[in-house]
Amino acid sequence: MKRLLSSIRDGNGFDIVLVAFPLGFLFLMAGLPLLYNILMSFQEVDMFSLGTFLRPFVGFKNYQDLFALPETWPILGNTAIFVIGSIAGQFLIGFGLALFFWVNFPGASWLRGLFLVSWVMPGLVVGAIWNWILSGDFGVLNFMLRETGIISGNIFWRSDPNYSLYAVIMANVWLGTAFNMILLSVGLASIPGDLYEAAELDGANAWQRFWTITLPMMRSTIGAIISLGLIFTLQQFDLFAAITSGGPNNSSNVTQYWAWDLSFRQYDFAKGATISVIMIVFVMFASVVYVRSTRHEVRG
Amino acid sequence: MSDTNRNRLMLVIALVMAAIYLFPLYWMFITALKSGSEMFATPPSFWPSEPQWSTYAFVWESRGMGRYLWNSLIIAFGSVTLITVLGVGCAYVLARYRNVWVDIGLFLILMLQVLPASLMITPIFVGFSQLGMLNYPRLAVIIAIAAKSMPFFVVLVRATFMAVPQELEEAALVDGNSRVGAFFNIVLPLARNGILVSAILIFMQAFGEFVYSKSIIQAVELQPASVGLNSFMGPNTNEWNNIMAYATIYVTPILAIFVLLQRRIVSGLTSGAIK
Repeated sequence: MKRLLSSIRDGNGFDIVLVAFPLGFLFLMAGLPLLYNILMSFQEVDMFSLGTFLRPFVGFKNYQDLFALPETWPILGNTAIFVIGSIAGQFLIGFGLALFFWVNFPGASWLRGLFLVSWVMPGLVVGAIWNWILSGDFGVLNFMLRETGIISGNIFWRSDPNYSLYAVIMANVWLGTAFNMILLSVGLASIPGDLYEAAELDGANAWQRFWTITLPMMRSTIGAIISLGLIFTLQQFDLFAAITSGGPNNSSNVTQYWAWDLSFRQYDFAKGATISVIMIVFVMFASVVYVRSTRHEVRG
Repeated sequence: MSDTNRNRLMLVIALVMAAIYLFPLYWMFITALKSGSEMFATPPSFWPSEPQWSTYAFVWESRGMGRYLWNSLIIAFGSVTLITVLGVGCAYVLARYRNVWVDIGLFLILMLQVLPASLMITPIFVGFSQLGMLNYPRLAVIIAIAAKSMPFFVVLVRATFMAVPQELEEAALVDGNSRVGAFFNIVLPLARNGILVSAILIFMQAFGEFVYSKSIIQAVELQPASVGLNSFMGPNTNEWNNIMAYATIYVTPILAIFVLLQRRIVSGLTSGAIK
């Protein structure tokens, strides 16, 4: 007992105590729910069996039922459009801004940091602001598009099934661009400057320097940012809750919102768990890519 | 073109781009000050003709914002405290050693960081209801947020501990400090700034958290401001000036913290997420 105490105070026991509690907590509150989720996806869960662990097993019935629903494939398609559209927008605009701010001028780093306010704001507030900007009759976006002659009539961004998903994508691009830009700036800053001097002496123009030095040197950063973008867009929930609620008629519904909707609006916890399991597998895959591309940092 | 001129030109372009990017924020502030009729005017005015400052007091009173913000504060402080107490030690150990177990631990932590809250809420809700945790809804939300955000905190704080020279700790041990003493007297004070910045980032996240609070907290008087904003925005609302006033009151403290600590927050964020 005494040896144990002194080990905790002045030996390896100290490290073990420090690491055991957080890992135990994480296992209880993140690991167990993950396993419980998988268990529930094979069970019949309704309001009456919510209080017990021993629910009737139904095998793959939840999965079969899920894919028999008419809305499943459109929602999976929406998720793909949402992810690809958001990542492409965030990355391209973010990269453009990062390249611009790379040219050093007084105030550049402060202004660049200011962009990040879009990322620290609560998602619900961002959603509320965009909800108002995208409003059909009185929205300022429609006004600007009309004035510049891009559209002739108002677009009902939130209630037109053809546009509702793109309304959320637009808000999400705005929200995530700054984060992409900051991380890309860090990557750009770590490229050694003498590479460019050497290329300039060899007569390479700006375009060639970009394709032969900047892009190849940024490869691991870009890989990490794309996979981080995938992780973040699959976590995006608040904007859907604030702008379209997945509607109209599921036209802007995506899996991460649908899973919540199934569980907490329709009280179909088994289907909610099932779609969660499917999506978590996807996210895990993305995170393996992310961890691999930041591995040199992880190893120290 | 001389260097000063070029710098000025770049600065002007940068300011224009920042203005375009931050326009939604401007629109929020401006709409909150408009009267009901000015808000729906065509063409919309880009500067309020008669600023309606009383909207703020009206919204604060009628929506009971004091209670909502108080609940947000409780949830944010609770989760930051829990995360800091648990996460700092974990980050320290993961920074101090380099072996296969640390690699496995880091890998697991990074994996937990990516689980979307809206997908995890189903098992968490069902599990909590079986354990009777739903009778303490704010505590349940704090625990759920802690489990969700701690991995991010550990990754950020670990980067801070990596920057503390291990020789300092070894010197303290040679001087007769115990491991506990060296940790609290030498290592922690040196890493204080990094821990503080990470805690502030977590605080801002928890202050705006929505999914867990919306699903777990049923009683209106215990809900945080994000859920309050959500119930304020019905499907066919036209009170946009009031909603924007609500959003302004909610978001201004966060914006103030961010602008004041911008440099530290940005550098803290980039050190952990990517290298």
